[in-house]
Formats: sequence, structure tokens, C-alpha cells
Amino acid sequence: MLIPRRLKHRKQHHPGRSGAATGGTAISFGEFGIQALEPAYLTNRQIEAARIAMTRHIKRGGKVWINVYPDRPLTKKPAETRMGSGKGSPEWWIANVKPGRVLFELAGVPEELAREAMRRAQHKLPMKTRFVVREGGGV
Amino acid sequence: MSEIKLSAEARTDFGKGAARRTRRAGLIPAVLYGHGEAPLHVSLPGHLTMLALKRTNALFSIDFDGKAHLAIAKDIQRDPVKDVIEHIDLLIVAKGEKVSVEVPVKIVGEAFPGTIHFVEMQRIAVEADATNLPSAIEVSIEGLEAGTQIRVADLVLPEGTTLAESAEGIVVTIAVPQSSAADEAADAEVAAVQAAASAAAAEAAPAV
Repeated sequence: MLIPRRLKHRKQHHPGRSGAATGGTAISFGEFGIQALEPAYLTNRQIEAARIAMTRHIKRGGKVWINVYPDRPLTKKPAETRMGSGKGSPEWWIANVKPGRVLFELAGVPEELAREAMRRAQHKLPMKTRFVVREGGGV
Repeated sequence: MSEIKLSAEARTDFGKGAARRTRRAGLIPAVLYGHGEAPLHVSLPGHLTMLALKRTNALFSIDFDGKAHLAIAKDIQRDPVKDVIEHIDLLIVAKGEKVSVEVPVKIVGEAFPGTIHFVEMQRIAVEADATNLPSAIEVSIEGLEAGTQIRVADLVLPEGTTLAESAEGIVVTIAVPQSSAADEAADAEVAAVQAAASAAAAEAAPAV
């Protein structure tokens, strides 16, 4: 599972969830992708579950890129604890995902197989997403 | 390549309010600059421009103020969720002028059976005549075997086009599909957790 090797501060504030993604909104490496349509905190477990769902379906072949990294710790206070006494202990690692962000990319497989693999991965994600295909045109 | 004719209207109001009003009217705010001239703030017909921009490195003839300006799209701002064009930067070009653009790589043919190809460089920077910009660079992988690499130097560029980047870069690699070590490790980890969970469940179940 993806976890940062070292970090500057053990406990951080919750990252902001407003606005849309300003970078990483287009397919950069592969041919197909999953694009977030809603903001969400994506945990490392969800990223791993989606990756496994995808790679299990495509079996051998294809290449998967994970474009988000869970580098933010979220804390949690233990159950049935009175308020106060400081901030809870780190519980999750999350990537702060904003609408428009391409989360995963895939290449080296036919489109039908990619669609099904990514549909399975989309079920593991906590926000609305869509399947996107690299397009020609533009600049 | 024939140019795409678009008629532009002048923009006199600026800022996000005016830009949003322009978009609501079915137009796209744009700016036209280059050749040391003062930038021209224009609005372009939304649907026609969107269709024109489906072509890579399209050449436009912008009819503005009774004068036709030849231009290429330098930058396109899109809404990442709605995928609508919000603003376009157009660069004025002249006939016979050389410009630097990025051209997408198009894969042609099928590699040797049982292999897959990976496109390592999706776009190649080239210099070409502004009025004859290539829309794609075709790379044939017909019958290529695993382990083959196609470098930038191996590409067949369209006539009148020169490379504007290092010739050493790898464009396409052909490989035999295989699961990575990370995948196998993750699968083994999941299998171990599942086995432990089922063993614990079997232990917890009451004996009949």
C-alpha cells in the first residue's frame, strides 16, 4: 500500500475540498483513464483496491499508472473518548482529490477490456468518476 | 493544409463577468497575438471553433475588422469537468514561417502476436511550415518483436518538418505482457490476509 517514507509533520490540518483540479486533468501517459467528478479524500486502501481490481481483470498485459499519491495523514480520536486532550492519532493516509483529476491511467489493452477493468476499479472509489479516452486534436 | 475560416468579433468588456456573458452567448473568448503586434481581444463562434479544434494543429484564418489573420492555436483552456473550451490563445503566423509545435504520435499496424506496445512519448516537438503543420506522425509497429525500441531518430517525419528535440528519446517499446513484481507481492499479501481471516472464522465457528 502507498505510504510516505518520511514526513515533516505527523499530524496535519484537513486539506481544503473546494474548487476543481488545476493540474493532472488530462491523460498524460496511457490511452484510457478514470477521471474524478467530485471532490473526495481518497485513502491508500481505496487506491490499492482499485489498482488490484484493474490489474486482476486485465491479467497479464497492459500497464497501469496511478496519478495520485496519498501523502496527507488524517487523524482520529479513539471511540468513547471525551473531547479535548489534543489531536487524535494518525489513522488514514489520503490523497486530496478534486473534480477533473485523472486518477488512474491504462495502456496496452483493447478499449472494451479497459472499460470493464476501469468499471471494476470505479466501484472501489468514494466519488463519482468517469471513463476517459485520450483524444487527438487541440494544440 | 487548408485553413479554417472563422469570423471574430471584438471584445471590449474584460474580466470574469464579461467572459461568462460571452460564453453564455455561445461564443469563446480568445486573444490573437504575435509578430510584435498589439494583442487583439476577440470572441469566436463557440460550436464552429470547438469542431475546428478537434483537428490537431489546425490553421485558422480569423476574419477580424475586415482583415484576415492566419493563426494557430497556442493554448486552449478547458473546464476539466464539463470539458468546454473557456479561452483560446491564437498565435499569428505568416505563410512560409517556421513554427515549433508538438505533434501526436499515431501507431499503425500490429506488433508480433503475443506482444504489446507502449507509447513512451505521446507527442513529438517539431518545426514545420506554419501553413503545412502535420496533424500526426505515423509510427509503424507492424511485425515488430518484443524488446524492440523505436527512437525519435527512427521516425519518418513528413516533408518539410524537422525535429525540435533530442533524437535519443524512446517513442515506442514492444514488450511481452507480464505481471509486475509489485502486483504479485500485493496479490500474495491479499491471499495471506484472506487465508488468515478464513482460518480465524473456522476457529470461531462452534463445533457441531
